[in-house]
Amino acid sequence: MASLEHSPASPPAASDSGRLLDRLRSRSDQVIVLVLLFAIWQALSLWLGEYWVGSPWLVVTRFYAGLVDGSVLYHAYYTFAEAVIGFVLGAIPAVLLPFALRRLPIVTAVLDPFMVGGYGAPKLALAPLFILWFGIGIESKIALVAITVFFIVYFSALAGVRALDTRLVQMAQVAGANERDVARHIIFPGAVPYVFTGLRIAMPYSIGGAVVAEIISANRGLGYLVQLSAMNFDTTGVFVALIAVTLIVFICNGAVDFAERRLLRWRPASDAKLQASV
Amino acid sequence: MSAQPLLEVRDLSKRFASRESRDASLWVIKDLSFSVRDGEFLTIIGPSGSGKTTLLNMIAQIDAASGGEVRFKSESAPINDPKSLNPGLSCRIGYVTQEDNLLPWRTTLQNVLFPLTVQGRLNDETRARAAELIRHVGLAGFENHYPHELSGGMRKRASLIRTLVYDPPVILMDEPFGALDAQTRAVLQEDLLRLWEMGRKTIVFVTHDIGEAIALGDRTLVLSRAPAKVAGEHQITIPRPRDIRGIMSHPDFGPLYQRIRAQVQ
Ligand SMILES: Nc1ncnc2c1ncn2[C@@H]1O[C@H](COP(=O)(O)OP(=O)(O)OP(=O)(O)O)[C@@H](O)[C@H]1O
Ligand SMILES: [Mg+2]
Repeated sequence: MASLEHSPASPPAASDSGRLLDRLRSRSDQVIVLVLLFAIWQALSLWLGEYWVGSPWLVVTRFYAGLVDGSVLYHAYYTFAEAVIGFVLGAIPAVLLPFALRRLPIVTAVLDPFMVGGYGAPKLALAPLFILWFGIGIESKIALVAITVFFIVYFSALAGVRALDTRLVQMAQVAGANERDVARHIIFPGAVPYVFTGLRIAMPYSIGGAVVAEIISANRGLGYLVQLSAMNFDTTGVFVALIAVTLIVFICNGAVDFAERRLLRWRPASDAKLQASV
Repeated sequence: MSAQPLLEVRDLSKRFASRESRDASLWVIKDLSFSVRDGEFLTIIGPSGSGKTTLLNMIAQIDAASGGEVRFKSESAPINDPKSLNPGLSCRIGYVTQEDNLLPWRTTLQNVLFPLTVQGRLNDETRARAAELIRHVGLAGFENHYPHELSGGMRKRASLIRTLVYDPPVILMDEPFGALDAQTRAVLQEDLLRLWEMGRKTIVFVTHDIGEAIALGDRTLVLSRAPAKVAGEHQITIPRPRDIRGIMSHPDFGPLYQRIRAQVQ
């Protein structure tokens, strides 16, 4: 048995510190890019005038003031809530439906053109309709976000269910697994990476959808702030709102990353990287 | 030696639907018949592509037959209809497949415990048995590794003990030791023989290796090239318990080896 003990265990520690260096390196590069962006922004605002492009310094101070007096947070909260609730309401049926339809290929085939149509149709064009139906409050935005997220996640979950390895299912059945065990232990975990690909793509759309719906018609939210500021020729206000939107995207992206790392620990690192870069 | 064989393969035939639908040449297995006694260690040897995996798939009932039948304890199983297959025939036929088929999202330990989990037999006793098997095949310390973090041979060993852990009375094995180095292979062969001698399971063991077929089996079947038929049958007269590493120096080994090799084309 002694010869077996020498198989590779975990990667040597050296590569860990290498990875840390890489991380630091990419962080410092990111800071440089950020500084460059601010420099270009500042140059533009000097060249075109602060009236058209609010200067970064003004934007930052306004943003800070907005945080302190709570007005930015007030609007950000609504946008965030619309995006998150809509995301969840859209993603849950999108994940469950392909599982439910797994045994009904005919129903799946009948639904297919409608799903493709729903996927391809510009959902933002539905915003005015949803505002008519659900009013200018939070509900119309949630509906828009949910429907956008639904179609994106549905197709990735469907791909995940279809990518099933039948040999794994046969192995499980020989070992005594029933229909439910197969769904729970094989089909579902196998589809999770696909679902995450969909969630990752859908996430910015959910925030973008909420903001655009607010721009069309709302009385609060960051999209409303954008609209209000623009009407008052306040470009600085527009930029403040956009920065808040960007921060929300970052936070949600971090949450998806975190969940994915927790749930997909079993994947080889290169796979996960490939997935993330797509 | 009971009169009724435990497992009986009768006129089993298989052909795969082809894309071009040429039919005559498509029989992978044609009218194959043999039987396995209760407690017997049967080794099957045959050239690559002769239909060994296809045969085991049909016995394990994960693939339908095109003709013939497989009887288990004299019950005839309707295996000609894909819909009425009963994979593993209610956990009584274990199958160590040619590919390891480990679940990538389960650790080594979770993979080994998988059959017990779905059979609802997870308890202290079965867990202890799993831990012992893991130690036995040299996977101790790798319980919490995922399959992609194991070597090919380690995955193979994990898939082997995943079947041993729930102790099915019949075990089908498809080249389980093919990807291992000579040393590990000899250790596992000895372990398998010891387990078999203790529990007297019925084992159907497919291999490419004539030496392995002789060292392990009570009897060796030689399959011909497709369509697979029994090209030869050999009683392995070497007495047990056998010394795996020294088996080649047994006087019966050489003649058996020659006769089998003449039939394996
Ligand atoms: N699903 C399939 N569809 C079509 N043909 C198949 C299928 N599975 C196997 N075959 C054919 O059946 C024949 C036997 O295959 P099988 O896998 O049983 O061989 P084997 O004896 O196990 O070979 P090896 O020793 O290389 O594993 C091959 O010619 C193969 O092409
Ligand atoms: Mg094979």
